[in-house]
Parts: sequence; C-alpha cells; structure tokens
Amino acid sequence: MGAVPQLVVSTVLLGGIYALISVGLTLIFGIMRVVNFAHGEFLMLGMYLAFWSFTLWHLDPYVVLLVAAPLFFLIGLLTYALVMRGVVKASHNVQIFTTVGLSIVLQNAALVAWTGDFRFVRPWHSAVVLRLGDAAFNLSQVVAFVVAVLFTAALVAFMRWTRAGRIMRATAQDVEAATLMGIDTDRVYRLAWSIGLVCVGIAGVLMSPLYSVYPTAGLQFVLLAYVVVVLGGLGDMVGALLGSLIVAGVEVAGSYYLGSAWKEVIYFLLFIAVLVFRPAGLFGQRGAETLGA
Amino acid sequence: MPRRPALITVVLLTALTLVSAALIGGSEGQALQGEYKIGVLEPLTGALAFEGKRHLEGYEIMRDLINERGGVMGKKLTFVVGDAVDPTAAASEANRLITREGVKIITGTYSSTLCGAASEAASRQNVIYWESSCVDPRFSRRGLKNVFRTEIDGTGFGWYNIEFIAKHLAPRFNMKPNQLKIAFLSEDSSYGQGVTEAARERAKKEFGMQEVAMEYYAFATTNDFSPLVAKLKQVNPDIVHHIARGNDAVLFWRQSREQNFQFKALVHAGATGYGSPDFGKALGAEGNGPFVLAEPSTGLRLEAFRPEAQKLERDFTEAVKKRAGTEPYASHRLAGAGLWLLKLVLDKSKSDDLDKFRSAVLSLDLPVGSMLNGWGVKFAENGQNANERVQHYMLQWQNGQMVTVWPEEFSTLRAKWIPLGPWDQRK
Repeated sequence: MGAVPQLVVSTVLLGGIYALISVGLTLIFGIMRVVNFAHGEFLMLGMYLAFWSFTLWHLDPYVVLLVAAPLFFLIGLLTYALVMRGVVKASHNVQIFTTVGLSIVLQNAALVAWTGDFRFVRPWHSAVVLRLGDAAFNLSQVVAFVVAVLFTAALVAFMRWTRAGRIMRATAQDVEAATLMGIDTDRVYRLAWSIGLVCVGIAGVLMSPLYSVYPTAGLQFVLLAYVVVVLGGLGDMVGALLGSLIVAGVEVAGSYYLGSAWKEVIYFLLFIAVLVFRPAGLFGQRGAETLGA
Repeated sequence: MPRRPALITVVLLTALTLVSAALIGGSEGQALQGEYKIGVLEPLTGALAFEGKRHLEGYEIMRDLINERGGVMGKKLTFVVGDAVDPTAAASEANRLITREGVKIITGTYSSTLCGAASEAASRQNVIYWESSCVDPRFSRRGLKNVFRTEIDGTGFGWYNIEFIAKHLAPRFNMKPNQLKIAFLSEDSSYGQGVTEAARERAKKEFGMQEVAMEYYAFATTNDFSPLVAKLKQVNPDIVHHIARGNDAVLFWRQSREQNFQFKALVHAGATGYGSPDFGKALGAEGNGPFVLAEPSTGLRLEAFRPEAQKLERDFTEAVKKRAGTEPYASHRLAGAGLWLLKLVLDKSKSDDLDKFRSAVLSLDLPVGSMLNGWGVKFAENGQNANERVQHYMLQWQNGQMVTVWPEEFSTLRAKWIPLGPWDQRK
C-alpha cells in the first residue's frame, strides 16, 4: 500500500502529458475527419523550439509558450495551404499517405538540420522535486498537467460557446448542409488544423524539460495519443482528457502490479474492445463521433 | 522555428574540408596500387542515427589511418555506404551493396537489431560479413561461415558485469557476493535480453546473488519509470543492473532521484543508455555514479598495452579529437578496432576469397593489449572473437565525464561513491 500515493500522482501527471498531446489530435479528427499521422512530428518541432530558444537565448520554456502559440498557428496555416488543403476532401487512404509522408519529411528534415543527437532542456524548474506525503513529483510535470486541464477547458468553451466553435461543429456534423448555409468550410478546416497544431506545439514546449529532444521524439508519444483519442471518443475533448487518465492509470498500475511488459497488452486490449463495442468512445454517446465536440 | 544557416554552412564547409583533407592525405601516403572497396552499413536516419553516424565516423577515421599505413592488400581502402534504418532496410541495402556496387565484404551495423538481417542477406550471396559492434549472442550461433564478429557478444557483457560486481563492488561493500540483492531491469531488445540473461545466469549459478526483481520494458513507449521505481524501492536492492537504450537511462535516473530511491550501485553495459555521452550532457554532475561496461576512455593506463598498440591507440585518439573534437566514444572505438582487425586479416589472406579469408581469420592469435582498445584476437569456428580477448573496461560517470576505473591494472583513475551515498552528496 505504501506505493499507492505515488501511483496515483504518477497517473494524474502522466495523464496530463498524454492529454496535452491528444487534445489537438482529437480536435483535428473531430472537425476535419483526418487522422494526422504527422502529429508526433509537430510535437517534436515544439520540443526543438523550446530547446533552441533555451540554448541560444536562455529563454525558459514557459516564456517560449507565448511565441509558440502564434508560431504554430502560422505553421498550421502554412501546412494547411501547402499540404492539407488538397487532401482534406479526398479519401482516407490519400489523407493517411499524405500525413505519413509529411511525418517522414519532418523527421528527416530535423535529422539533417539538427542531427540525431539527444538534446536536453534543463530550466530551473525541471530539477524541482515536490513531495506530498509518500509521493514525489516534478514541478514541470505539475505545470504540464495544469496547462492540459486549462487548455482542454478553454477548447471546450470555445467549441460550445463561441460562434466560430458552433460553425466548426456544424461543419463537422454535416459539411454539405454547412456549405449550403454559406459556411466557408475551407476556412473552418484551416482553423481546426491550425488550432490542433497550436495544441501540440504547446505540448512539445511544455514537455521539453521532461524528455529528451530528438528527431523521432514524437513517435514515443503519438501511438498513445491515438489510443487516448479512441478511448475518449473521436473528436471529444473532455473524453480525450479522461482517456488520457485511463491510459496513464493502466500504464502505471500495469507496470507496478503486473510488470512493465504487460502495460501495452492491457491498454491495447482496451483499445480494441472500445473499437468493437463502443466505437464512439467510452464517454461519447453513440453517434457522437460525428458531432465534433 | 529557429534556423541556423550559419551553423549549417560552417558544418558543410568543415565536412568539405575534412573530405578534401582525407582525399589529399590518402594520395600523400604510401604509393597504393588502386582501390579496394568495402560496403559499410549504418543506421544513418531514424532512431539509431545518432550512434550510427558516430560509428561511421569511427570507420572513416580508421580508414584514413589504414591508408596512411599501406592500405589493405596494398590498395587504398574506400567505402560505399548504405543506410540501414531498420532490419528490412539493412537487408535490402546489403543486397544493393553486393549486386550494384560489387562489394565482397560488408561491415557495420552498430545495432543488434540490424546485424542479423544484414548478415543473413550477405550470407545468401556468399559475401563476407564483418560485424564490429552488435552484441546479440544469437548472431554467431547460426552456423554461417561467412559471418565474423570482432566485438564481444552479449553473454560476455553479462559475464564482465557480474565479475565487476562480485570481485570489485562486493568487497568494497564489505559483503559477500551471495549476500547481494540485485534487481535486473532492461529494455526488451535482443541486445538488452542477451546481456541481462547472461548476467542473471552467472549471478545466480556462480555467485548465488539474490535476484529481487526482473523487469523488461519497451524502450520506445516507456514514458514514465515512477511505478517501476516505486516497485524497486519496495524490494530494496543493493545493485541495479540496468541495460538502457537511450532516453530511458536519463528518465530512470532522474525519477529515482525524485523518489529518493537509494541503492548501492548501478551497473550498465554498452554504448547506449548510460554508455552514451548524452547521459552526461543531460545530467552533468547529477549523473555521478553509474558504471558502464564499455571500451576505454579517459584514465586508460596505456603502458599496459603492447608498444605497437600504444602507437595505434595514440594516433586514433588524436585523429578522433581532431575530427570530432572529443575523446573517442565507444562507437568510434568499436568501429576503429573492427576495421583495423579487418586490415590485419586482409593483409594476411591477401584475398577476399571466403576460404582464404576465413583461414586467415582463424589463424590470428594476439594476446590482450595487442591492438586498439587493448583487445587481443582469437576467433572461434563460429566467427566470434573470444570474449576473454576482447578486453572490456568499467567506466564510471564522474562530473559529466565517463572515466575508466576497472580493471585497475588498466586504469589510472579509481571508482568513487562506493556505495552510492545520498543523492545530494555525490559531488
């Protein structure tokens, strides 16, 4: 029993990190119906942004966040115009090949530009250890978790209570009807893609004090993000947060009680079961995967 | 994103200068009669690229030294390089080097995940496969007559680690080996499993050490070690035997510190994980303490080598410093020693005919201390250089630097923090 507080804290904080990555992925899928296989590489770019800012200008990653949001919005606009615009209405196969291609291009561009070396960002807060009873945790992890919750709440509010959010949901529900109602769907997709990239870019910056930065860093996390998105319900942001906590809980408890080798077996069984029995996700209503929020 | 055009330009210019220097250097050496081309397979993209490139750099530096010393079979040694990003690419690139480039010898591949596929592809075409780095024990158990390995195999790593724990650490803890509680932790690749299983077997059968935990984990998807650390704290091991692959070493060490997990020593083997320079870059003095079984580094007592090996060691170290700006890393050394040994064999066989080559390989008999890294040579019929001739060293992280501390007859520096004290008192 002595380890239980540690396991609970580890679950919550790891869940926060997974949520940060998953929220953008579920937003893009919910609105655009595109599974973004390059999501991990945008995460990696966020980590490199934090690394170079810290190394060259000694900027703390939390300061870099202020730049990261608009910068990744611009990257979103650019990649949408150059790559995604042409395939957003194409078949899923074309979208998959396109985003996989984008992923490989970004990975290898990073490898050429910055080499395959592991890089590290070590601001003061990365070494601060907090203790709560028997549990110990890192300050940077706490910040990542808090930002994940705030970000999810902000996105849910944006989707539910703003005009732009309603337009985006309407487009997700029925793109033809939305077009007939005069909605510029291209603009909606562009916005969804760019906001999704802002989310993952911010995730990358926040995770940089915790993990090594290298060209394939995103691969380590993105597979889990797909599991989270399916568990939480495709396009459901609150579901993504809860799904992140479930995956983290399975990972932490599985590692402790059964052994590390079992954790993936468990959450992928859960993943398959959800796809078979509740394709809308654990928390979504049936058919909710088409609602986009 | 921040762009670094100036840096890239400098790197390109430096690379061009180095290439030009290498070419000029080759023509200024002894008069060599033509060229002899071999294939080099390395992971130059993907997750293993950072070490693959360093391994290739080691080959290139040794190639230039070889060409200054008469080349191979009187010819200038040249490379044709293939990118073995994964086992499939390793096999297809091996085929390309053989069928399109016409090479008769392939060397590489840095990783235990790649050497099996690459060597099988070479074997199917009866081409010599000369491995200088992978340590998967299965590599030399397949009965392939064209396959040779200069580096120790994984069982040798496990053997050395337990030797160090039983003969060096246990006495310094004032404990007998059978009193030691040991926790095994490893990433789940063939490399990690090969080393770990060999260490487990020797620890249990020969020394009666008490195994209190055994955990394998998937390196690529483990983002949090805190539950594992919590679990290990409960069993309170004296020794953590951890075979790590990359970022997992930094993460485990950092989270052990966060949870104040106290153990007396951590022992690793190989150039990855704790054996990578990245561990020191990430943690600096906070990474003080872990032991790494590897090729020698700072603190090597060169006088323990034979005179000809001392010269080769000095020249290689200088060449690495000049080109890479660092002391030679394990990847440099593995590649360098492997390629030098290939030169010795080719100079003896005077041919790349498999039978003549194999006969020359098996006839070499050099004691420990005879070549780079202090290695000796004695190949077995299965193509494996004898583990006891491939002298290995225990290095320890001391203030951001890996230094050679054991065997003591080969080292000028000594191991510290035995046992490891509180986390904040390892300065």
